[in-house]
Amino acid sequence: MSVSASAIKIEKEAVEVKISFEDLLIDKNEIGISLGYSAGKTPSYFMNMVDDVVKKLSSLCQPKAGYKIFDIDKSIIKPYGIYIENAFYKMEKIITSQIKKSDKVAVFVCTIGPAMEMWSKELFKQGDSILGYIVDTVASAAVESTADYLHNQIENSVQEEEMKITNRYSPGYCNWSVSDQHLLFSLLPKNFCGISLTGSALMMPVKSVSGIIGIGKNVKRMKYICGKCTVPNCAYRPYYLAINKRRLAKNNN
Amino acid sequence: MNEALITQIGICIEKGKVNKASPYPGDMIGQEGSDELTRQALSEGIGPDLILQACNSGMQRIGERFSRNEVFVPELLMAAKSMNAVMAHLKPYFQTGTVKAKGKFVIGTVAGDLHDIGKNLVSMVVEGNGWEVIDLGVDVKTAKFVDSVKANPGCIVGLSALLTTTMANMAKTVQEIKNQFPDTVVIVGGAPLSTKAAEQMKADGYASDPQGAVAFLNKVSRN
Repeated sequence: MSVSASAIKIEKEAVEVKISFEDLLIDKNEIGISLGYSAGKTPSYFMNMVDDVVKKLSSLCQPKAGYKIFDIDKSIIKPYGIYIENAFYKMEKIITSQIKKSDKVAVFVCTIGPAMEMWSKELFKQGDSILGYIVDTVASAAVESTADYLHNQIENSVQEEEMKITNRYSPGYCNWSVSDQHLLFSLLPKNFCGISLTGSALMMPVKSVSGIIGIGKNVKRMKYICGKCTVPNCAYRPYYLAINKRRLAKNNN
Repeated sequence: MNEALITQIGICIEKGKVNKASPYPGDMIGQEGSDELTRQALSEGIGPDLILQACNSGMQRIGERFSRNEVFVPELLMAAKSMNAVMAHLKPYFQTGTVKAKGKFVIGTVAGDLHDIGKNLVSMVVEGNGWEVIDLGVDVKTAKFVDSVKANPGCIVGLSALLTTTMANMAKTVQEIKNQFPDTVVIVGGAPLSTKAAEQMKADGYASDPQGAVAFLNKVSRN
């Protein structure tokens, strides 16, 4: 089933959302932050490479996104995990504290397809590791933007039913084991949005995001949640911290 | 001996200046890079060992700046690229044994894991620091690592993983290498890893970034 984003309702079937490259917001300064630099401080040589890669992104990026909504039994939500369709997902309180306030949960996936990762691999093979690294970084930003778009569309649509949503949570983050991808994907149609799993729970194409979003009248989507997570030395925390700081500054201006 | 030339090669490495045509870095546009200067140095009879020494100093300086968060992975990669331009000229000297690599570093992403960006970055930077890198690729089974250790006595092994699910495979690989070659040094890295996780799987070291891996390797090779 495929519907336009504006027509999203709380569907019981898996829904593939129409999304195109034009829907994605690619912020080059945020890509610079991903490379390690402060906003606006990326050396021009590397920023020019980012510009060139972003220009090619439109022809290489094939975003797809979809979700399926499930009822959840709040009475059996534990501090250390939740049940969806009778299967238990062990995760941190940072997630369960939000999901326990939800009435439903959207299981989602999205991807930008395989072309960017193939380009990056080819560049590394040819010895151009700098461009390969930048292509990979831009691709990561594109898939995060795809997830943002889906997240926003779900939020807009549930508002029509006076519902709100939580942040999105993915296996591999907040002490939610990546191995639960197999359980999560079993809730969706096979090869949904063109994404499959390897035996070790790696999504193919690699530039894909999966996870859950809580839906309910008493839930809240927060600006920044890494501060509440107890995972030590998470590789992603400095990045999200810098991005959040930048977005807050932008909103305040 | 043309000391200014040797010094300049080291500066080219540190600043990532590959050759005259390269527009990087902005403050060296139009200047000769490590490629041309190494050719000139060799033609003037400067020993390859002295050139290599200058390069290692340049790599060390950029590494220290990386550790201080003054530069980031792109600059490290540019420095490594500049170093590779030097190595292309020095290759014949390595083949004849006139100069030697710091050691052999066998690296791969463990079984079940297809992520290669982190592993590739580490390979590039370690190679740029004067090590011979044997890259086994991704989804590398334990037996392949063991065979490579057998074929390269004295090598140091680097294991990479991005998925928490493949950390178990990493632990098995560390264990098997240690069972068969107890003296082989193993370093691990990747997003789900930590010093604690490395200790638990009995690896000898953990690096959170390419420069960390270089620092570890240099420390081990000095001991």
